[in-house]
Amino acid sequence: MHPVVPNPETLASQACWSCLREIEKAAHFCPHCSKLQPPADSDYFTFFGLQRRLNINLDALEKEFYSLSRKVHPDLYARASAEEQRWSTDQSSLLNDAYRTLRDPIARTEYLLELEGVKLEEQSRAATDAARAQGKEKQQVVPADLLEEVFELNMQLEEARMGKKMGERDEQVEKDLSTAKDRFEAMLASSTSDLHQLWKEWDQVIATGADAEDPLRIAVRDKMVALLNRRSYVRNLVRDVNEALAA
Amino acid sequence: MAYSDKVIDHYNNPRNVGTLDKSSGQVGTGLVGAPECGDVMRLQIKVNPETQVIEDAKFKTFGCGSAIASSSLATEWVKGRTVDDALTIKNTDIVKELALPPVKIHCSVLAEDAIRAAIGDWKKKQGVTAPAAVEAVKG
Repeated sequence: MHPVVPNPETLASQACWSCLREIEKAAHFCPHCSKLQPPADSDYFTFFGLQRRLNINLDALEKEFYSLSRKVHPDLYARASAEEQRWSTDQSSLLNDAYRTLRDPIARTEYLLELEGVKLEEQSRAATDAARAQGKEKQQVVPADLLEEVFELNMQLEEARMGKKMGERDEQVEKDLSTAKDRFEAMLASSTSDLHQLWKEWDQVIATGADAEDPLRIAVRDKMVALLNRRSYVRNLVRDVNEALAA
Repeated sequence: MAYSDKVIDHYNNPRNVGTLDKSSGQVGTGLVGAPECGDVMRLQIKVNPETQVIEDAKFKTFGCGSAIASSSLATEWVKGRTVDDALTIKNTDIVKELALPPVKIHCSVLAEDAIRAAIGDWKKKQGVTAPAAVEAVKG
């Protein structure tokens, strides 16, 4: 699907602990003596021998997951040395974490952004600390008009829910809620397709061999951060409106 | 996750939920959000123009129990303080008071942001006099 560009991470080599011959750094097994290797200090993409790209062949990923799961399974190492038993457990849990993260589109994107130096969980607090230190007002990480809109939508949603709670079997309330649901779901869908567009842009930048400081790479990264920030508000609205309809 | 008793108390009996007149010159409004969880919080203050004391505060928060408790506590704490004094409230004070776990720290950050944003909005409304006052404090 993609032209094969060597991944510098996997090219770095190390010696097999058993036969001492040279192997790829992220190799799970020695190609010479077939021995299980200790887990490499690598990211999830490297673990699966993948480039840091966002469009992933999920079928291939799943196949590789099942194949590796069988090969590193602790049952196979029950009679091996204590060290190998531990490596098999560690490789298995790393494999599970890596697979769970990479197969999920949002988790995969968030994970990549963290690898690219973005602290998604920290961005808000970091901005607050900076504002406090400078005695300035904090720069909100999402645009003010989006906050206004989300607040307004939440108010409307609450009103509709209150109406329902009061026992109003009001057709208008139900209608308002389902209109809101359609609208929020459309917003979420459009954010998904925007995200896919950014994935494409990202993969193109990576294919050019852009390094971590490349301005294009940073620009696409930051666009994805902004999109995920916006998305978390929309996702909550969808969740809340569905709860209100189910209540 | 277990919430502390104080969080549960504020969540069940939130103080100062409501709205102040956004267009009033004495009222400052802060609308802030936490992208980590998608919560939004609006905090409003009403300031006495003579004394600069915050005489009333209201909030409305769409978010988890910790976010509601943090903003409820924030309104209690700013009431009766001068605006400059209210600016000294830090998110870590809220974390301590409510015994928030690490995963809920961003809720306290949101409450501090809301206080600062509301005061910032009020200062803007006071026009040219506000920056001068800030300079005087610094000097």
